[in-house]
Amino acid sequence: MNQIRTIEAVPSSKGTATAARIGIGGPVGSGKTALIERLIPVLAGRGVDLAVVTNDLVTKEDAERLRRSGLIDPERVSAVEAGACPHTVIREDPTLNIAAGDVLESRFPGLELLILESGGDNLASTFSLDLVDWWMFVIDVAGGDDIPRKRGPGVLRCDLLVVNKTDLAPHVGVDLDSMLFEARSVRGDKPVLATNARSGQGVEAVVDAICRAVLFAP
Amino acid sequence: MRLIDRILGRRDDTEIAHRLHHLEHHHAVDILTIPSGDVARRRLRATTLGGEEVAVALPRDQTLFDGAVLVLDEAHALVVRVGEQHWLRLVARDKADALELGYHAGNLHWRVRFDGEALLVALDGPVDDYLVRLGALATEGRVSHSIVDPVQAH
Ligand SMILES: Nc1nc2c(ncn2[C@@H]2O[C@H](COP(=O)(O)OP(=O)(O)O)[C@@H](O)[C@H]2O)c(=O)[nH]1
Ligand SMILES: [Mg+2]
Repeated sequence: MNQIRTIEAVPSSKGTATAARIGIGGPVGSGKTALIERLIPVLAGRGVDLAVVTNDLVTKEDAERLRRSGLIDPERVSAVEAGACPHTVIREDPTLNIAAGDVLESRFPGLELLILESGGDNLASTFSLDLVDWWMFVIDVAGGDDIPRKRGPGVLRCDLLVVNKTDLAPHVGVDLDSMLFEARSVRGDKPVLATNARSGQGVEAVVDAICRAVLFAP
Repeated sequence: MRLIDRILGRRDDTEIAHRLHHLEHHHAVDILTIPSGDVARRRLRATTLGGEEVAVALPRDQTLFDGAVLVLDEAHALVVRVGEQHWLRLVARDKADALELGYHAGNLHWRVRFDGEALLVALDGPVDDYLVRLGALATEGRVSHSIVDPVQAH
C-alpha cells in the first residue's frame, strides 16, 4: 500500500521500482551534450545516481565524448544508433532506447536518474511519454531569436525549454531578453531557462527543475 | 508529500468498489485529475482535488488510467480521473484539400480518428498550435474546424 513518506531531499525516490527517465531533445549543435557534461557533476554533487543514453545518427560520437570526459563511469554511458530518423527512436518507436535504459537499470541497481539525449532533430521532435517521464528541449541563441516564434512542437510541448549559449547573444546580434520573453509567451505557464553550457551559468536551475519534477525534491 | 509507487486496483473491482462506496459516505475519497495528454507519464507530481500534494512514481510496466485506485485504507482513498480528451474536427472543402490535409496530419504525426468526412485530431495543446501547422489550408478557409465536445466523441 502506498504510504505517506516524508521526502526531504534528493535522492528521495529510494524504494520505488525504477529510475526516473528524462529526455533532452533539440536541434543538432544546440548544446545538448555540453549541457549533459555540466549536469553530471552538479547532479552527482547532490548525490543522484545517474546514467546516460545517447542517440547518434550512425556513430557513437556523443557516447564516446562522455565516456572520455572523466565525468562519469564509462560503463554508465550507453549509445543507441538512431539511423537517419532521430525523432522516430524517441517517439514513434522508442523500443531501442527503452531497452538501453533497462540494461543500464539492471546493471546499476541503485540508479535514480537516466538521461536520454536525442540525436538532434528539427523543432518538431518530441519525446514519447512511454520513453521518458519528463523532457527538456534545448535551443540556442545562435540558432536565431525567431525560433520561439516558429512554435515548433518541441519548443511548445517540452516540460522545460532551455535557451543555451547565452554568451553568444552579443556576437550574433540577438537580444536575449526579448528572445526569452517570446519563448515564455508561446509556452504559457511552462518554464523556460537560459544557460551557458560553456561557463556553467544557469545549470543549477536546470538541475533544480529536474530534481523537483522527477526526483521529488522540495 | 505522499509517494505513490503502485496502482492498487480499479475503481470498479468488486471489493474495491465496496470499500470506496463506504468511504464516499464519509467524504473520504479524494480525486487526482490527470490531463489526458499526461496519462502515459510514469512519474509526476500533482495536487489532488482535496489539496494534497502527491508524487507518482510507477513501475515502467504500469500506467495511470481513469479509475485507477492509488490509495485505499480505512479512512481515505485516492482515485485517478483522466481529463477529457478534446478533439479538433477538421473538414476539407473538397477532395484536393482533403488529400493535402491528410498529408499534413501524417507528416505532423498527429493522433487522429476518422468520422465520416471529418478528420478528428486529438488535442494536446491550444487549437491555434494545430491550425498554424496547416498554413494556407486553414488561413484560406480550405479546411474548416470546430471543437468536439468530449461527450459526443465517445
Ligand atoms: N559558446 C558556447 N558554445 C557552446 C555552448 N554550449 C555548447 N556549445 C558548443 O556548441 C557545439 C555543439 O555542442 P554539442 O553539445 O555537441 O551540441 P548537441 O549536438 O546539441 O549535443 C560545441 O562546439 C559546443 O562546445 C554554450 O553555452 N556557449
Ligand atoms: Mg550531442
